[in-house]
Amino acid sequence: MFTGRFRTDRAAVFGAVVAGLLVLLAILAPVLTALEGQDIASFHNDLVDSARGGVPIGSLGGISGQHWLGVEPQTGRDLFARVAQGAQISLLVAVCATMVQVFLGVVVGLAAGLGGKWLDTVLTRLADISLAFPVIIFSLALLTIVPDSFPRPLLLALVIGVLGWGGTARISRAQTLSLRTRDFVAAARLSGAGGFRIARREILPGLAAPVITYAALLLPSNVITEAALSFLGVGVRPPTSSWGQMLSTATTWFRSDVMYVLIPAFMVFLTVLSFTLMGEGVRVALDPRTTRLTRKAG
Amino acid sequence: MLGYAVRRIGGAAAVLLIMSAVVYVLFYLMPSDPAQLVCGIKSCTPDRLALISHSLGLDEPLYLQYWHFLSGLVAGRDFSMGPSVVHCAAPCLGYSYQYTEPVLQMILDRLPVSGSLVVGAAILWLAFGIGIGVLSALRRGRWVDHAVNALVLGGLAVPIFITGLLALLVFCVSLEWLPFPTWVPFDENPLLWAQNLILPWIVLALTTMPVYVRMSRAGMLETLAEDHIRTARAYGLPERQVIGRHALRGALSPLITLAALDIAGILTSSVLTESVFGLPGIGQLTVQAVRNVDLPVVVGLVLLIGTVIVVCNTIADLLYAAVDKRVSVS
Amino acid sequence: MTWRRPSLLVAGVLLAGTATACGGGGQSTATAFDPNNCQGGTLEILNQDDAGSHLDPARLYTSGGGNIPSLLFRTLTTRTRKAGADGAKVAPDLATDTGQPNADATVWTYHLRDGLKFEDGTPITSADVKYGIERGFAAELPGGAPYLHDWLVNAQNYPGPYKDPNGIPAIETPDAKTIVFHLNSPHGDFPYLATATQFAPVPKALDKGADYEKHPISSGPYKIETYDKGKSVVLVRNTNWSRAVDPNRLACPDRIEGTYGLDQAVINQRLSTGTGKDADAVTTDTDLGPSELAQLDNNPELAKRVAKGGFPYTYYIAFDNTKAPFDNPKVRQAFSYAIDRTSVVNAAGGSSLAYPATTFLPDNKTMGYQPFDYFPAGRNGDPAKAKQLLAEAGFPDGITVTLAHRSADFNQDGPKVATAVQDAYKKAGITVKLQSIETDSYSTTVDNPATQPQMALQGWGADWPSGGPFIVPIFDGRQYLAGGGNFNTAHFNDPKVNAEIDEINKITDPAQAAQRWGQLDAEIMKQSPAVLLFHTTQLRLYGKNVKNAFVSDWTGVYDLSQVSVK
Repeated sequence: MFTGRFRTDRAAVFGAVVAGLLVLLAILAPVLTALEGQDIASFHNDLVDSARGGVPIGSLGGISGQHWLGVEPQTGRDLFARVAQGAQISLLVAVCATMVQVFLGVVVGLAAGLGGKWLDTVLTRLADISLAFPVIIFSLALLTIVPDSFPRPLLLALVIGVLGWGGTARISRAQTLSLRTRDFVAAARLSGAGGFRIARREILPGLAAPVITYAALLLPSNVITEAALSFLGVGVRPPTSSWGQMLSTATTWFRSDVMYVLIPAFMVFLTVLSFTLMGEGVRVALDPRTTRLTRKAG
Repeated sequence: MLGYAVRRIGGAAAVLLIMSAVVYVLFYLMPSDPAQLVCGIKSCTPDRLALISHSLGLDEPLYLQYWHFLSGLVAGRDFSMGPSVVHCAAPCLGYSYQYTEPVLQMILDRLPVSGSLVVGAAILWLAFGIGIGVLSALRRGRWVDHAVNALVLGGLAVPIFITGLLALLVFCVSLEWLPFPTWVPFDENPLLWAQNLILPWIVLALTTMPVYVRMSRAGMLETLAEDHIRTARAYGLPERQVIGRHALRGALSPLITLAALDIAGILTSSVLTESVFGLPGIGQLTVQAVRNVDLPVVVGLVLLIGTVIVVCNTIADLLYAAVDKRVSVS
Repeated sequence: MTWRRPSLLVAGVLLAGTATACGGGGQSTATAFDPNNCQGGTLEILNQDDAGSHLDPARLYTSGGGNIPSLLFRTLTTRTRKAGADGAKVAPDLATDTGQPNADATVWTYHLRDGLKFEDGTPITSADVKYGIERGFAAELPGGAPYLHDWLVNAQNYPGPYKDPNGIPAIETPDAKTIVFHLNSPHGDFPYLATATQFAPVPKALDKGADYEKHPISSGPYKIETYDKGKSVVLVRNTNWSRAVDPNRLACPDRIEGTYGLDQAVINQRLSTGTGKDADAVTTDTDLGPSELAQLDNNPELAKRVAKGGFPYTYYIAFDNTKAPFDNPKVRQAFSYAIDRTSVVNAAGGSSLAYPATTFLPDNKTMGYQPFDYFPAGRNGDPAKAKQLLAEAGFPDGITVTLAHRSADFNQDGPKVATAVQDAYKKAGITVKLQSIETDSYSTTVDNPATQPQMALQGWGADWPSGGPFIVPIFDGRQYLAGGGNFNTAHFNDPKVNAEIDEINKITDPAQAAQRWGQLDAEIMKQSPAVLLFHTTQLRLYGKNVKNAFVSDWTGVYDLSQVSVK
């Protein structure tokens, strides 16, 4: 039923295909770069005009058969290789952050739904607050005080994840509350199953559909958050490249190398759009009545 | 109701207290040392560093520093600065050693910029968001509706810093219709104020609008299906009156709650807008403080923003409870 | 150590704009600048930051008193306000000469000019100068240079006038016009040091500690009308100042209005477009960035309004010469041969903003620059020679090292240059691992021998244009500080070099000293204690109506006390 409904949704299919290609780009980044005949770190001094600040020589930022997306100003490093690595970072951080959010959210939601009244009140309150907090502003503050020796992509995923579990918790709790009154749960309880066992065996499977739906919409919003944090200068550290970071350096190159702005901008747009379309498709296919709960991050 | 309100406000106060303690400890336990930053690089010797640390009170145990911070919030506090003493009046959010200015003062100074940005943009996104949403609902299923739907999806997929960059690229670089935005206070030159803010307003509004379009469209559709609208129509009231007087009111009330709860989103968007356009508002202050590792400012801002959000949330809850009660009474 | 905001460029909105701009007064040919007829008008200053630089003479760490501070604070001596190498000399300011030393340059005596007054009309006395210096010792007012602490007899532990009102015995004021400094060792450079703002007079009665910066009392041509820290400043003429008592500053504009907190791109765009008041504008903290250079080619009018200068600055790779593998001279030489300075210069902004370094002293005559290149790497490095040396040193299969850099690119010691170094060394079989250290702790990590990384990107600028402050902190073995605050990152200690430093310090003739510093530079670099990367150049725009914007070899930027907008 799910696949049937999803397949008829043309926008969702388009989103899924593009998203799939982006995932491929991320996974095959080293292979594709090798195929292009380039690598990510080599400087090409002959491809930039040193006296003019290092603008790429040639039109459209130096796009050529050797450099599919041109080269980076100043360094002459291959832009395709850097964009592909950007895809890796973007998707890796977004997926991991979503996993953290889902894990924390489900655990808290279950605890709130199955625990006592007091626990429920406290956890719901916490979830409300976490949902209301501006993730980007708080991550901005948090990311500055963690030493640079901590692996940056992991840190980003953790910070975004830990600050953004409120929505999943809310949904899990609501679903748990409705499930716990159902007959099969009551039966399990009568047969002497403990709270933990009930949570794992009876409730958890029932949470899958709404949580997946929600996670599918969280993912693109996490892509935006990562890009925004990198744009503000607290994302992954160079020489690792990311789209947000490229955008923030590209802002000075508007006039002299417009492609350097447009390429990462387009990549972020494409990623968010495709995953959003896919997420909407999942939502409609799984449960047409779910209301959209994600808020745009940026 | 009263009991609920008391419990709710008490809870909010507890949350604020815990939050302030966590934030304070988290930030001041970190390796970066504010005294080192004040001390400078070439000019710093260990003796000097110790002296500065002492004069800033950073050599005290953390719990004492936190206690001074808390009491400063209530009663204000004094910072010894050579022969003179700087008084930071209550509520004292801290004192920036880098700017030698109370944190609250720095925030208040930048409020007009962020205020101008958000208020101007809010007028745009509310007017256009609701207008387009309602129009889309009224033309349900027609091409206008589909186009709006597609635009909303597209709008949701473009982060504000990209919209902002592209807007700069098109209007300031390529077409040269507008100058690069610079902050001009309203009371200095209202015309320049607006000219410089128009692009940030549009960009911020464009990013915030899609949610409002969706909500007002959904609200409108729901209301249109309700009995009293059908009745009004059945009585032959002119369509304009049906829509304008009856349907719109019902459709828009949920938007007020949305606006109240969306403060976090708006704050985030304005931080990004300010940093794209280089506007010296609270968002830019945040980014700058983070970069300069100006801990008192970062802590002050985080706490202030947290407080605003907790307070707004609590008010929204209380209002909701009040409305809810009336509903159940009637 | 200021942060530059990420900026949105400039746009050459001006390109089309200039042609149609309503030029007030038409295409009149600019009249030649006449210092005797330059007074009038309002000069606008467009700046990014005010923060970090406190407007308190005790807290400023700027060579020669900075640009805006120099309009308010007169010092015992000052920089000569001339273009090029001439501008790197010391001139008397409050004092009647650049200082009278005793035979071994350990006692320096200054006499104040007649008729000196503060903005409120009170006469300036030698006690005010002494008090100003003592304020710089107070922990409450950090930020100044450390030289006075180290040079004055028994002043190391002086806690400042707030805690010890008795003052520093090593500074004597026998009368209201005379001030005498007693140093613990010879320092022929003392006249240079006396240009620092710590040598500006401060009236004790009006000192408000940290709040003094809100309205510092002027001894210069302008005084503060309003000052809103971080946002704006308005300076008006100080009627108690005149050219009769100050031969250095022209002080042409009647009024100076500063706006702070602007974006780099906005500043450059406004300067280049120059509409309205912006035609009378300058900037004291915003250079042209690499992305903005392409426009100069397309716009000759704009290219004419660019002041080019070099604030003496050297970037290099620092490593501990006493630790393996860098205790082996062949390894050090290999690293010098292998470096591809073209990549590194490009990463630093390209050939218009940086030039390759083979000497530690920048190309600056006053400092004693003498050209040499002991390990010629050519434009792109000499990997073959490097490989051979490495093999001889026992690394036939290459070597792996770690290079630390600042986590952000606001100086030239960030990831951009670090990755260029990494790539440059690859060809020579040197594998470089990068270690990013966050901005706020970078300097303290590198300058503490306990935490010093194996290799680190370092930059060094002169506190005044002489070889002394450039070479001594980095290569004098006795300046090595095991407890932190150590700039001798090479752990370099050559008794011959130390002895020569002591000899040069006794010389009070700058030209003679300069030549000896240049020779010493060569002697040190022969031992390859560091890998030299590049020196930087600054390009800075000024408004259409701004005249007499010339650059000296001291500051690298045009001087506000000389420009005119009339």
